[in-house]
Amino acid sequence: MTRITEDVPEVDEPEVSLGDRAAAALLDYREGKHQALADFVKEATPLLWHTARAQGADREHADDVVQNTWMALVRNAHSIQEPHAVLKWLLVTAKRGAWEVVRKQRDDQKRRTELPDDLLDGPVGALPSSDPTPETQVLEVERDRHLWRAVLQLPDRCQQLLRLISLADRPDYKYISSAIGMPVGSIGSNRGRCLAKLRDIMESDQGDRTWETS
Amino acid sequence: MGNIMSAPIGYSPDDPLDTVDLEILADLARISAMLDPVPGGLVERSLFAITLAGLEAEVMELEYVRVPEMSVRGEAPPVEARTITFTAESLTVMITLSTRDDTRIRIDGWAAPAGELAVELHRPDGMVSTTTDEDGRFVFEDVAPGPASLLLRTPGADGDAVTTPIIEL
Repeated sequence: MTRITEDVPEVDEPEVSLGDRAAAALLDYREGKHQALADFVKEATPLLWHTARAQGADREHADDVVQNTWMALVRNAHSIQEPHAVLKWLLVTAKRGAWEVVRKQRDDQKRRTELPDDLLDGPVGALPSSDPTPETQVLEVERDRHLWRAVLQLPDRCQQLLRLISLADRPDYKYISSAIGMPVGSIGSNRGRCLAKLRDIMESDQGDRTWETS
Repeated sequence: MGNIMSAPIGYSPDDPLDTVDLEILADLARISAMLDPVPGGLVERSLFAITLAGLEAEVMELEYVRVPEMSVRGEAPPVEARTITFTAESLTVMITLSTRDDTRIRIDGWAAPAGELAVELHRPDGMVSTTTDEDGRFVFEDVAPGPASLLLRTPGADGDAVTTPIIEL
């Protein structure tokens, strides 16, 4: 395999991160210049989408959550004190919005499943799945399947963290981890617990079972 | 193939991120996009939502949606229509959407209390406007399906605009 442990160079931090572009977009927007925000919406919508989905929102509700999050940003454009906190603000807003819809949905579901008639109407209790498509069909490359299998062995919060930071830049990692309630220092300039664990799993899954430790 | 140099003590969380870590993260981003893709058009819907939010108008409540009974018969070609009412403190707006074929829509609207109002129909790709007559009625004869929001304001005045939530025409 290609992922060898020795002599892998460290990497420099990119100079301008998603969070920086968020701040610049907000400042522009306040001055009536809207293009930077439009560009930022294009760039950061996947991150907000996966943030909402990670809270258990189904696809339809996650769609609403993302739109509402962007609207909330514009409505609060002039009251957000610290432009450099915009990215975190967006993540927290999306997360809370998703919680809200998930909570409502569960309440509705509870009420409905109390009515016996509904049991005849099909899969009432089906919870939103975080993976709408069978993974084996979607991931054609063994390397991807290998990585994904390892990811699924991580604790939920690690899965969430890694999936979200994968959509951002390194200086943003600290905002993302704190937005989803992980301790500061979970990842960033250091590899962090989740990624270290992931690499351990990948290594031990990788063929030579005699090296397996746990 | 194993790690020949050392026993498998595991990767340290305290080591700096290396290129393999970043490669893994890049792969993960790609995999997430494959397993749970962002819905098509979400960026466009978000941009539209932002434009509307930027108008800083009071958003009306969607009050009542009446869907016609489907079993309407008659000689005339079937006319599908639905009626939606929006309310704000200062204004109530009722619109009826009708389609004669699958592609074009007519909006008949009525605002109360009656008075001359500017009416803007905002779409993701732009805006068209009209004004109400003295009875508060307005029409957009021929519009395409898709997301839309109406904004109503007293002509000339800057404040007191109200807007409907985004509806799907």
